[in-house]
Parts: sequence; structure tokens; C-alpha cells
Amino acid sequence: MKSWNLKNVSLAGAALAALFVHVGPVSAQGLAPGDYKVGFVTENTGAIASAGQSYWNGAQLAAEEVKTQKYLGGASIVLDPKESGSDAARAIQATNQFVADPSLLAISCCILSPVAGSLKPIVTEAKTPLVIFGATAAGLPQLPYVYSMTILPGPKDKATALTIVDAVKPKTAAYILAADNDAFKGRMNATREALEAKGVTTAGVVSVLTKDTDFTAAATQAMGLKADIILVYATQGAAAGAITALKDRGYAKTIVGNDVLSPASIFKKMGDSVVGVPFPVSFSDSIVETPEAKAFVAAYQKKFNAAPDIYSAQGYQVVWFIAQGLKSLSGKPTREALGQALSKVTKIDHQVYGGEAMNNGQAETAGTLVVAWSAEGKIVPWVAPK
Amino acid sequence: MQLFIEQLINGCALGALYALFGLGFGIVFSTLGILNAAHGSYASWAAIAALAAVEQLKLPFLPALVVGVVGGGLLAVVVDQIAFQPLRKRGSGMLGALITSIAFWIILDNLAGTATGQQSLSFPRGSYPGTMFRIGDIPIPAMQLITVAVMLVVTFGLHMLIRRSRFGAAMRAVGWNQTAASLGGVNPRYVVIVTAFIAGATSGLAGVLGGITTHNVSFLLGEGLLLKGFAAVVVGGYDDVRGTAVAGVGLGVLEVMSAQYLSSGLRDGITYALLLTFLLVRPRGLFGSLGFSRP
Repeated sequence: MKSWNLKNVSLAGAALAALFVHVGPVSAQGLAPGDYKVGFVTENTGAIASAGQSYWNGAQLAAEEVKTQKYLGGASIVLDPKESGSDAARAIQATNQFVADPSLLAISCCILSPVAGSLKPIVTEAKTPLVIFGATAAGLPQLPYVYSMTILPGPKDKATALTIVDAVKPKTAAYILAADNDAFKGRMNATREALEAKGVTTAGVVSVLTKDTDFTAAATQAMGLKADIILVYATQGAAAGAITALKDRGYAKTIVGNDVLSPASIFKKMGDSVVGVPFPVSFSDSIVETPEAKAFVAAYQKKFNAAPDIYSAQGYQVVWFIAQGLKSLSGKPTREALGQALSKVTKIDHQVYGGEAMNNGQAETAGTLVVAWSAEGKIVPWVAPK
Repeated sequence: MQLFIEQLINGCALGALYALFGLGFGIVFSTLGILNAAHGSYASWAAIAALAAVEQLKLPFLPALVVGVVGGGLLAVVVDQIAFQPLRKRGSGMLGALITSIAFWIILDNLAGTATGQQSLSFPRGSYPGTMFRIGDIPIPAMQLITVAVMLVVTFGLHMLIRRSRFGAAMRAVGWNQTAASLGGVNPRYVVIVTAFIAGATSGLAGVLGGITTHNVSFLLGEGLLLKGFAAVVVGGYDDVRGTAVAGVGLGVLEVMSAQYLSSGLRDGITYALLLTFLLVRPRGLFGSLGFSRP
């Protein structure tokens, strides 16, 4: 009897313990219902507003989906936009205002690396997570408060150039570089070293400036170098202008672009100038594989009556990344807790690029997709000319 | 040598745009006494209007160009009458007009950004003369030839208008002293409106031609022309359109040659060092008869 009682008491105790273990953490892990505010430094005006609007559209769509899909149960993410016009002073002002808002959990910002860099000390001091959506300079992420959802283009540039060199077999290469942009300078130098290691001699580097609008002289200079291949490392306007000027002046050899050529607005503007120009891309609405990516394309098309581009995908991923961090927390999380939670994310749950992972706060994908615009205005895998 | 000649042609064509833009800028300064920061916005809006005429109204090149030019002129008149006429009535100085023009510059550029969806657009191929002429191995795009030719014709026309016509005499009189001009039988209001239209139209011409040749129709178009046009006026002498034309072309050539043979990073530095030198050494510019100041 005694042993029976003891046995039953033990069983009852074990059952209670199991119940506690099972129920206790669930109630503790649940995020308290309510709205969680994320400050979003928009860049919907200014010289790069066309990209800025895409980031903002993608982020808005993700916030809506997090809510409608009840990804966070009864909780949702509310975006609080403040416009910077890509100006560092205005971005700093917006960030200071966000930091001063006790109801705000995280901040997202920045297409330009210098602007992102200027916000780093503010957010780390304020222990507020900052998720960068566009800046590409290496070394921006800093755990546990600074993250980047931009797939770094440098390694993709190098891989793309090597793929093309293997196919085209040029002897000499010329480069058109936005000389006032350190990120592009680094990308070009890395590619140039790799190409020189493969025996491709550098014929010369033609410098342009980001704010330039006339590229006729730069194209003439680049063609004067008589290289077998011209690689363009410049921001969107400069890259588009330089490639158009090269084509206008009759350059018929291979031109290699970069990821800035991927938005649909570029094809609309440049038309046949960009057809067949190879460039790397992490996301394209016409080349998507995962169900999440396909759903993203359809939802974006429906909401904005336009195809999403790489920038919309990056803005979209920012919000899903923050949501993933929030989901792992319980109760009413603090900014510090969210920072710690985000630092533990190694694999992105909601994939639109395919094979996305986080490495020390930096989003990464495996493999490089080398694509080009077709004459019909679709991004298609690049095929080497015969 | 071939490269040098090609770049010389590129420089002349680029400089022709600066010159065209600077012509209107200089006329406004010498006649109306306004250092008009909004002048670049007329170029942006003219290019947007011409592009809309091509894409929406399906107009061919020449009528679309006219739409842009007239649009630029009308916008300049509207801005002048809303922004500067009240200041003129009150006898406000140059500083008030400059600050007002900066306000209009920002407003018009913001509206231009909204109108273009913050995108950089371009004229569709086939909507403008795209022929590439060749002299030996040297390629010359038709638009470069058109730009230079238009600049020469407009400079000649404006010079004749200002120096050889009664209206030009009235412009100069109003520029010197409005009260004295009206005592002499000139209607200053009429002169001001026509001058503003001419200035806006030449800026619009630069905007449309620049928008086509650079494949960039956006709110940034005029901004790019503004400082270079200003430099052309200062270097050339603000009260002589021939000086503006020569200085504009010179600046374009200098800019292109600096980038080709020195460094593109130093390009703007060289341009503005030249501007500074002229302001210090020869403030009346190459052809000007007066210093860069107004009574």
C-alpha cells in the first residue's frame, strides 16, 4: 500500500512535472499580444528614391503578412516611417527620435553605407537593434545590435566576372568605376585581382562620379582602351548611363554590369541597351523557386500593381527577420532582448532569395545567379555569346 | 589623336548644353537682377513636359521639343510673377529674391520628383534623331550636332535681340534702372515677363536636349546644369551672351579633357577653380562690361 501510494505519488508528481514543463514554457514563450513598433528610415525622396520606395513597399507588405498570417499570434509589427532623403543628417535625426521613443523596439534603415555607418554608434549606444536594408559596405553588422539583410554583392561580382571570363576568354579588361563610392571601388578591386590572377590584363580604369549624368566622354575613354571586355562598377544611374553611352557609341564587345541593373525600371529606361548585359542577382521576380518567394511576388504584384525587385525583397526580408527574432521571445520584449534574439538567428525561416542564412549579422546566400535582360524585358539566365 | 578629337567633340556638345542653360540664367540676372536658383527646375520640367508629349501625346521630336521649350518659358513666367514680382514691387534686394528662388527650386524639384515617380526616365529610342555620323573613324551622334547647332543659333539670335532690337534696348534699360526705363516709355512689366519667358525657354531647350543626350529625365537634370551654367555666366561675362556661349563650351571641353587626361575626381575642382579665378582676377568675365554685382 505504502509502495503503491509512493508509486502513485511519484507518477502524479512526474505527470505534474511533465505538465509544468509542457505548459509552463508555452505560456512563457508567447509574445504578449499588441503592436510592436519598428522605426523605418525611408528614402522615398532624393536621388535614389526609386530604390527607396521599393524597400519601403517590401517592408509594408511583410508587416501586413506578419499580421494577417498571425505569425506572431496576437502580436503584430507596426512600421513607423521617417523620411531621410538618403541624407545622413536627416537619418541621424530620425534615428535619435526613434531611440527616444520608448514604445519602439527596432530600427531599419539605409541604402548608403556612409549613412548606415553614421547610425551604428547611435544604436549600439542606445542598445537598439538596427537592421540595414540596402548598404553594402563590408563590416557594417555588429552583434548584437547591427544586422544587414543585404546580400553582399562583392563575392557575387567576382563569381560573375569569373564565369563570364571563362566563357568569353578576354585578354584585356577595362573598368568603369564610380570613383566616389568606396563600396564599388572595393568590389571592382576584388574582381580585378581575380581576373588578373586568371591572366586578364587590366587595360585601364575610367572613373565616373555618382552624380554624373553625361557619360559620353567616359564611354569614349573606355572604348579608347580597346579592351575585350568592359566591367561597370557604379551606382544605378551611373551604370545605366555608362552602358547606354557605350552601346550608343557602337561598343559591340562584352559589357558586364552589376546588381543595380536588376530593377524593372532599368529595363524600362534603357530598353535594348541593357539586353544581354550579364549581371549577378540575388532575387528576381522571374526566377523564384521557394513557395515563400512565389507568394511574395504574387502578393507584391497584387498590392502595388508592379513586380517586386531586389530592393523590395530586401525591405521585405528586414521585417520578416525582425519578426523571426520577436517570435522567439516571450512577454513584452525589450530592445536588448530582441537584439540578443536576432543574434541567435542563423537561418532565415521566411526565404525569398533561397538558401538564406545569417552569419555574424550578415545575410548570405549560396551560389551566384548570372542573369541578363531579355529583349522581352524578362530577367533570364545569361548565355554566353557563340 | 582620334581619341582627342572624339573627346573634343564630346566636350563641345556638353559645353553647348551648359552654354544654352547659362544664356537664360545670365539674361535673368542682367535684366531682372535675380540670381535665380530655380532656373534649373525649368530645365527639368521642360524635359518632363517634352517626354510626356512624346509618350502621352505621341508627338514627334520637333513638336515635343516645342512643348518643352514653351513649357519651360511659361513656368518661368509663372514663377516670376508669383515669386519675384511682389518683391520687385516692394523694392527688395537681391538677397530676398535669391532666398525666394531657392524656395521655389526646392518646391519645383519636389514636384518634379513626384511627377516622375522619383525615377530617372529617358526618351524612347526612335523619338529623337539617333543617327551616328562618321567622319573617318570618328563617330558623331546626331544629337551632339543638333545641340551645338541650336546653341549657336540661339546665341546669335539672343545677341541680335539684345544688341540690335528695340526690345533688347528696353531689356537693357530695365536691367539698368526700371524707373528710368519707364520714364523713357518702356513698359517694365511687359519686358520682365518676356525676359522671364525667354530665359525659361532657353533653360527648357537645354533641359530637353540634355534629357535626350544623357538619357536622364528627372528632377536632378536641372541641378546638374545649374552650377555649370552659373560658372559659364560668370566666366563669360553676365551681360554678353557671346561670352556665356564661349565660356560654356570652354567649360565642357575643360571638363571632358580633365577627366580624360588628368582625373575625373579633379574635374569639378578644376571647373570651380576657374570660376574662382575669374571672380578674383576678372570679375566682369571674358566679354562682360560690368563686374558681378548689380546696383
